[in-house]
Amino acid sequence: MLEIARLDGMEEVLHSETNGTKSGRSDTVDLNDNSLQVDISDALSEREKVKFTVHTKTTLADYAKPEFSVVRQHEEFIWLHDRFEENEDYAGYIIPPPPPRPDFDASREKLQKLGEGEGSMTKEEFNKMKQELEAEYLATFKKTVAMHEVFLTRLAQHSVFRTDHNFKVFLEYEQDLSVRTKNKKEKVEGLFKSFNKSTDELLLAATQKDVDDYFEKEKGFLLEYHTAIKDTTTKADKMTQAHKSVADSYIKLSTGLSQLGTIEGPRLEKFINKVADTFEKARKVEGRVSSDEDLKLSDTLRYYVRDGSAAKDLLYRRLRCLANYEQANKNLDRARAKNKDVHAAELAQQNACEKFELITNKAKEELVDFKGRRVAAFRKNLIELAELELKHAKAQAQLLKNCLQALQEE
Amino acid sequence: MADSREPPPLFNDDDDSHKDDDNDDLFTSAVQSPVSELTTPEEPRRQEGLGDPLTSPSPAASPTPDPPSDSHAGNPTDLFESVGEPPVGGLSSVSLESPTGGEGTQQELPSDPDTTLVDAPCVESANMSSFDAPVEDAGTTGVTGSDDVVGTAESVDQSSPPANSTSDSVPATSEVLIESSVATQELADTDLSLHDSPTFLGDGDTTEICLDDNAKEVSLDDEVDDSALFNATSAPKLQLSQDVPEPPVPASSILPPMGAPLTPPVAPITPTVTPNLTPNVTPAAPAPVTPLPAVRQSPEELEAESGDEFIEIQVSDPQKIGEGMSSYMAYKVTTKTNITYFRKKNWSVTRRFSDFLGLHGKLVEKHLHSGRIIPPAPEKSAIGTTKIKLGSDKTAESGSQDFIEKRRASLERYMNRTGAHPTLRADPDFREFIELDAELPRATQTSALSSAGVLRLFNRVGETVNKMTFKMDESDQWFEEKTQQIESLDAQLRKLHLAMEGLVAYRRELAVSTASFAKSAAILSSVEEHSALSRALHQLAESTERTHTIHHAQADADFYYLSEITKDYIQLIGAVKDVFHERVKTFQTWQHAQSMLAKKREAKAKAELAGRMDKVQQAQEEVAEWEVKVERSQEEFDRISRAIKKEVDRFDVVRVKDFKDMLVKYLEALMTSQQQIIKVWETFMPEAKAIA
Repeated sequence: MLEIARLDGMEEVLHSETNGTKSGRSDTVDLNDNSLQVDISDALSEREKVKFTVHTKTTLADYAKPEFSVVRQHEEFIWLHDRFEENEDYAGYIIPPPPPRPDFDASREKLQKLGEGEGSMTKEEFNKMKQELEAEYLATFKKTVAMHEVFLTRLAQHSVFRTDHNFKVFLEYEQDLSVRTKNKKEKVEGLFKSFNKSTDELLLAATQKDVDDYFEKEKGFLLEYHTAIKDTTTKADKMTQAHKSVADSYIKLSTGLSQLGTIEGPRLEKFINKVADTFEKARKVEGRVSSDEDLKLSDTLRYYVRDGSAAKDLLYRRLRCLANYEQANKNLDRARAKNKDVHAAELAQQNACEKFELITNKAKEELVDFKGRRVAAFRKNLIELAELELKHAKAQAQLLKNCLQALQEE
Repeated sequence: MADSREPPPLFNDDDDSHKDDDNDDLFTSAVQSPVSELTTPEEPRRQEGLGDPLTSPSPAASPTPDPPSDSHAGNPTDLFESVGEPPVGGLSSVSLESPTGGEGTQQELPSDPDTTLVDAPCVESANMSSFDAPVEDAGTTGVTGSDDVVGTAESVDQSSPPANSTSDSVPATSEVLIESSVATQELADTDLSLHDSPTFLGDGDTTEICLDDNAKEVSLDDEVDDSALFNATSAPKLQLSQDVPEPPVPASSILPPMGAPLTPPVAPITPTVTPNLTPNVTPAAPAPVTPLPAVRQSPEELEAESGDEFIEIQVSDPQKIGEGMSSYMAYKVTTKTNITYFRKKNWSVTRRFSDFLGLHGKLVEKHLHSGRIIPPAPEKSAIGTTKIKLGSDKTAESGSQDFIEKRRASLERYMNRTGAHPTLRADPDFREFIELDAELPRATQTSALSSAGVLRLFNRVGETVNKMTFKMDESDQWFEEKTQQIESLDAQLRKLHLAMEGLVAYRRELAVSTASFAKSAAILSSVEEHSALSRALHQLAESTERTHTIHHAQADADFYYLSEITKDYIQLIGAVKDVFHERVKTFQTWQHAQSMLAKKREAKAKAELAGRMDKVQQAQEEVAEWEVKVERSQEEFDRISRAIKKEVDRFDVVRVKDFKDMLVKYLEALMTSQQQIIKVWETFMPEAKAIA
């Protein structure tokens, strides 16, 4: 429980930290319509739970007040997402992907490991490692907050979604939404449903011939894209993790060197301490390279894994509609042949047709939108990535240069 | 070892054991008298050039001007060196104890300061003249180098300026004689060295360079002193008179520039004795006495001096020779040097891995007992080697490539470390190793599985047990502190090495994961339908591919610049510990001798009490014997202690420098990496901006 206590101690920090970064984050969201602005103004980590303070500013008449805040938990975000996904009216839209569950297990595990290895390292080393872990924890925390916020801002920006009733409740209702996590039966059902869905999807993909080349092409692209980007994301994660490990190993190097300096005495101590100090600074830079790569590269990729997945879902829904429509056509033909229930069949066929056309049109728009959004996001993040990489590399080169100069003067 | 030394009384031991002391003493005393100054410049050389082997033969070599005698003299030395008598080269001098015995010389020591009448120049002249007579004496009696003599010689030097060659006091004259004999011995030595050089070189074509150097190196070595001692005692006055007229040669012979022209008397000898030697030696001008400017020869300066000399050894072109399990790796060993006792400035030979180990073994055998830190050779790795042996050379996987490169690099570092040591690089075995352009006799003892290997293992176990069980009460604070420092250094370096290994592993991982990201990004870019984004992603893939290469190179730098050097030092510290242990062993011998002496004395006392005169007589003899042994082992202990101090001081200096170099080199590599990364992202930037 040692590590829990430590994490709890961190809450205060997190509290203020998120406030500090908040403005920076909302800046990046390009709001062309300011009628509904949502952000997460604060977040609090409490044991297993994270409480997000969702802050809303609006000019929409539906809302009672122009500005208000509520406290929401991750489960409520998921609930909101599920409501959108269920809603048939939104079948033609890419539903913004739900934020991933806050996951601090990795950090906790590492912290525990560190606690176990406490005896084997010096105090200084231990403290640095601990600090490093705390920073890592903080970064994960901030990322979680950011992803929850992105989910809300996308809804708020969307011309249709932002008028959704459930969304309004989510933003406005001051009490707990009393969303319980799914019970076992529901979970099994959900599993069954998703299994059904994926078999259906596969079946449709195999059997259903699309009348529209555009969608046929998009479908192919998204499938391929999804696999590719998923792989890239995993690789990017591995890369940033390795980078982090490199940065962390500088800690041991640095403390090891300065201890050596103490043993070596005056002949080498000053010299070595300079080097150790440089490694300590270089570690921080390397660490930042790692976290920035994670933020700008991996997270962008990760987001588009999920967004791509949402787009795929949209295509599935359309294909389902298409299948339904064709089925309705067949039914109509049969009904006409039998001359029985023709009207009902006609109605059903018309319905299906309308639905299909609607979804097709919407989906086209959404897919174009998806592409535009993706390209813009990649552009922005890749530029930022390059800038940060440059900044860090230059900082480190300068650091090393200064150190070498100082050593030469010795 | 200790046992082998025991039989010969005092002198033999001394001659080999005191070499280092002499050096030390000379360093310190050098400042004071001109004579010693003259000698000092050679100091380092002597250490280098004159391995132990030289010391022993010298007595045999009668430094008489006659060619024949010289040739005789030469041969033994040759034998010695070619045989490469390991540690005992010096000891071989055993047979030649001087009749006078060590005591005589020691007694002289105190008297010297009083006499003080010797002048440098006159001494030199004495040398010249002594050439005839004393030399013969030396030759006949065949005194070996007992270092005590050196002490006397020095004391003479220090004694005083008012030089009066015709001093009445007997001790004074004797000293002069000592000096003179020293000089003659020098001459003898030079001759010897002349002989030596060819043997070193292996083939007939010797260049003058070698000659000179050897000559320079030799001069005032231990043997010299012995003979001196001998002369001092045995042939007192005669020479004095002769000395005066002669030109003072030794100075010239000592001076580096004049090194070539050996003293005139020697010169004529050389051509006849060793025809292969260049005649250049002969035109020896009776150089004017050039009293060297009194140069303070502090350790730093010595270092600086040796700094002018460089030897750079490259190990390259690893090559698999043969097939299957009997195959082996051969390396090209290229040496570049300006040290003059090497035949050329730049040459190369081919050596196999076991040769390197063999060299190390020989050096350890020869030099460890005298307290020298022998740089450890790379470890044998049965797995790595077998892999290479079995793998066909054409399809050598990267793993064994890495292994070979790692080994090559560590062999190179090993060679340079050994070469950087002034004594070790002058060792005949080392010189043969880097110079002899032929296959070395197969070193059979290096194989881990050979009987020698097993024996070694047993020995090592014994040593470890000894190390663990025997705790010496340290009376020397310096050693107490050093031992502790070395221990903590060892622990810390191990820790640091672990951290470095971690860094290397992580950086390698980073390189690998970056490469796989690059591949994956390339695929993503080919999938991406938006052309500009696709292009940018493609660029991203290329950029990361390039950073992969940078990380990879950096990982190598982590490994070769940091990790391996640190590992070397862990092993070197092991060598330092060995040396310390060697001292403990000598201490044990001394302690043992002391307790034996106490026992014998007790026995004697008992016998006396019992009134058994016959036994008293015998006990008296034994007591005397053990007294000598105690004295000798104590001297041995003092000698090794001093030698170790010097060695460790050198080790400290070199280590600090190595560490500084290592860190600077590493930081530079890091900086280069960062600069490359800057370039990578600078080229990427416009591509990212071009996404529209």
